[in-house]
Amino acid sequence: MTVDQAPQKPIPVADQASAPWFEAAKQHRLLLQRCDDCDAYRFPAWPRCDNCWSINWHWATASGKGTVYSWARMHQVYMPGFADDVPYTLAIVELDEGPRMNTNLVDTDPATLKAGLRVGVVFDDITDQIALPKFRPASDA
Amino acid sequence: MPSPTETSIRGSIAICGLGVTPMGKIYDRDARDFAAEAIQLALADAGLVKTDLDGLLINAGIGPAGAINLQLQNQLGLHDLRLLNHMNAQGATAASMVQYAALAVHHGMANYVACVFADAPLREGRGAGAAYGGAGAGRGGPTGIASLTSAYGFFGANTGYALAARRYMDLYGVTSDQLGAVAVAQRQWAMMNPHATKRSPITIDDYHNSRWIVEPLHLLDCCLVTNGAVAVIVTSAERAQAAASDPAYIWGMGQGHPGNDRRAGRDPYTSSGATLSKRTAFAMAGVDNDDVDVCELYDCYTYTVLRTIEDYGFCEKGEAGSFVADGRTKPGGSFPLNTGGGQLSSFYMWGMTPLAEGVEQARGGAGDRQVDKHDIVLVSGNGGTLDTHATLVLGAQPN
Repeated sequence: MTVDQAPQKPIPVADQASAPWFEAAKQHRLLLQRCDDCDAYRFPAWPRCDNCWSINWHWATASGKGTVYSWARMHQVYMPGFADDVPYTLAIVELDEGPRMNTNLVDTDPATLKAGLRVGVVFDDITDQIALPKFRPASDA
Repeated sequence: MPSPTETSIRGSIAICGLGVTPMGKIYDRDARDFAAEAIQLALADAGLVKTDLDGLLINAGIGPAGAINLQLQNQLGLHDLRLLNHMNAQGATAASMVQYAALAVHHGMANYVACVFADAPLREGRGAGAAYGGAGAGRGGPTGIASLTSAYGFFGANTGYALAARRYMDLYGVTSDQLGAVAVAQRQWAMMNPHATKRSPITIDDYHNSRWIVEPLHLLDCCLVTNGAVAVIVTSAERAQAAASDPAYIWGMGQGHPGNDRRAGRDPYTSSGATLSKRTAFAMAGVDNDDVDVCELYDCYTYTVLRTIEDYGFCEKGEAGSFVADGRTKPGGSFPLNTGGGQLSSFYMWGMTPLAEGVEQARGGAGDRQVDKHDIVLVSGNGGTLDTHATLVLGAQPN
């Protein structure tokens, strides 16, 4: 099987609402929606603030810093494109701005994995259009 | 015992019939056929006939082909129903259906309501994991931010519970051995249950040797996937007393759905809706923890059981691991739990698994696994990743 024929992992598909998020990710910036009225950050993106129900919002650049809320090691191959990665680390990272996002932890010694670990974002350029924010242990405590 | 609330329905409603079909890797039938059999069995158990039924509530599983829907009324040839709905609060649906039926019967909207769950997700040659794998990306799947999930390799219900269990273990020091103790104890009960699909004993070593699914969950931490159906008939306490089987009376009902807004400040993985649900249900029932004789707790994963034991207040937060590991939940122990083997060892019919066993224990029909003192039985339902919760408190007596 040539590299071209190897099974692919799913590639995210930008849509009109999320296009700015994906464009920023390509530039290695992590964006979050921020409510104009109550200042709450949210992710994933909704048109209405889940805190105060305002429809006024803007994209804000996140610090990229967060804390591991939880993590797990995937051993099942649900899609053939992940066969070479298994086991890989899933995580929910609680960003310093508040929202929690699903992601992968990379460059991490499994023995150090623990809820509460401080992490920082890195970007994985999976295509020339799409980069995925992933996280690794932060150098600052 | 505290007094029941003024508006309590304690004393007025009961389950008068239970139907449990054959369970497991049965491939030549669909969910509709299982549902019809479950209702037939429940009616026979109650000594009722088809024309007695004037209510039908249904809960379809994950399907897909042959999943039950409102057409079940016509497949069963039921006329002039006074209550009909298709409900879905995931694993909290079974208890919710019984609650809705109870409220309807209490106010004279219906006399005999059948509540049924049926599913046939297993297909010959396809592993159980594929049924609930949920790998939907790329084939008409979501776009935008939602399409990130599968790109990161998050698949299926196992992932959510693995993340929940891991956080709990990291925060409270609960061990894999303690998760395993849940599975080992429940298998012992399953060995006495003719309905159970797993009846060979397992040791803690077997548990550790069972393959990783999503670490920290081994195969034996995860519930079964089953083809089959369960139905119960809800009616008034008076009518139940005239029925063919002993009633299981409904003393208390509650729900709790904490919400997971995925932001700092709340911790839904270590705090389920059980606490909120318990408050309503126990107040209605006029019971507290010391009054509960038997617990049938939704057990999609071993972690779900520990989470639920703590959130009902049977022990302190973080202590459920040692609570179970000391053996009290095994047959003969002081805290009979999931006495049919549960979803881990008996069969997986969502919330009907704990409810079916709870009904049998309450009315004294559990055979070899019958717990001697069974006056008050707690039944829980749980859905999503600890997103939905419902409680039924069942009684052997009307009051």
